[in-house]
Amino acid sequence: MNLPGNLKYTKDHEWIKIEGDVAIIGITDFAQNELGDIVYIEVNTVGETLEQEETFGTIEAVKTVSDLFMPVSGEVLEFNEKLEGAPETVNQDPYEGGWIVKVKISDNSELEDLLDADAYKAIIE
Amino acid sequence: MLFVENPSLDPYFNIATEEYLLKHLDVEVIMVWRSKPSIVVGKHQNTLAEINLPYVKKHQIPVLRRLSGGGTVFHDPGNINFTFIKKAPKEKLIDFRAHTKPVIDFLQSLNLDARFQGKNDLRVDGLKISGNAEHVYKDKVLHHGTLLFDANLQSLNEAIKSREENFQSKAVKSVRSTVANISSLLPRKMDRETFMSLLKSFLLERFSSCELYTLSTQDVKSIEKIKQEKYTSWDWNYGWSPVYVFSHQKIINNTPVSVTLKVKKGVILSAHISENNQSINDSHPLAESLQGVEHHPDKVSNLLSEMNFQQYNQLTDKWMLLELFF
Repeated sequence: MNLPGNLKYTKDHEWIKIEGDVAIIGITDFAQNELGDIVYIEVNTVGETLEQEETFGTIEAVKTVSDLFMPVSGEVLEFNEKLEGAPETVNQDPYEGGWIVKVKISDNSELEDLLDADAYKAIIE
Repeated sequence: MLFVENPSLDPYFNIATEEYLLKHLDVEVIMVWRSKPSIVVGKHQNTLAEINLPYVKKHQIPVLRRLSGGGTVFHDPGNINFTFIKKAPKEKLIDFRAHTKPVIDFLQSLNLDARFQGKNDLRVDGLKISGNAEHVYKDKVLHHGTLLFDANLQSLNEAIKSREENFQSKAVKSVRSTVANISSLLPRKMDRETFMSLLKSFLLERFSSCELYTLSTQDVKSIEKIKQEKYTSWDWNYGWSPVYVFSHQKIINNTPVSVTLKVKKGVILSAHISENNQSINDSHPLAESLQGVEHHPDKVSNLLSEMNFQQYNQLTDKWMLLELFF
């Protein structure tokens, strides 16, 4: 299982890359593999400020729609629009080309709750 | 676990009930239910592309968007729906085989050779009798499926005749299958009420910790609120469709007229009209007026009523013209 050491993780199987006050968010290799072929990703929340754990979008694979949750509170700055036309990118390249949203982090203390690669690995094994 | 008794045939109420039970209660649930004739599209589908709009309008068939994925289904009182809401560790939530097993076992108990086929269908001799879909919400999954018992298959086939050729988008497309009614396949004939009550008894026995539950006045009040705010709204049922380009051509007064609309969140972003294959430029008043209008028959009809068509060459017949846009 591919788990880059420079990323943070959540129990909801999302990864977070911190760049200054911006968090780049996607789903883990484990999650994309569990979901199967991804056919649609919907994010209608760009410009909205959401709380940690709130839904920022949905992802559909094999007739199943799953909600995507905010790993940290903040404003949704950008949706990776490439995924509108090519959602399968999340299956093929979950940690780079398959990033889903960028969020302006509003509460740095929430970052402490995130898991490192080893802690996340313990959950999925 | 609750076995929710829901005798309502109101599709808006029933779909709102599923959302309420999933998101507002913290319990596992089984529900067996039916709706009067209605069409239910998947979460990420383009509603207009999936339905036969003239048929739907003529028969006043409600059209709703649901929370789960997959394609479009038709409900009527001859179709029996089952809903399971279960809790499980995240990686075990999505499991079509496990969630449909009790239903397959039930059908087999009636000597019907029902099998799980493909990714989510139940079939008998290759004919589809049940479509299934799921929605994962936090630590719970909502699994639901249809069971065609003695549904009106002619209405089904008419109502969900898709018009994909007119729509370009990345929306999830339905996969049409040859369907069959369970009643015509059962070795022992029975009516739909008997079938439903046998299914209910079977599930109550299978899930022996289940308690029968009747929706309280407070439950119904909350469900009605979700129904009014979401499931009866055009914004959710149609407007929520992924961005699309609609192209359509019609002969109006012996002239081929074609239109291309780009629509996002149900609203026309740009319109392009041409006559005799000659483009009318974008500053054409009709094309311009369409910008910002919802791609909704009533809204476009209102706009056409407000305009004076005499000046637009061949575009004189409002009703012919309205059909061009849908």
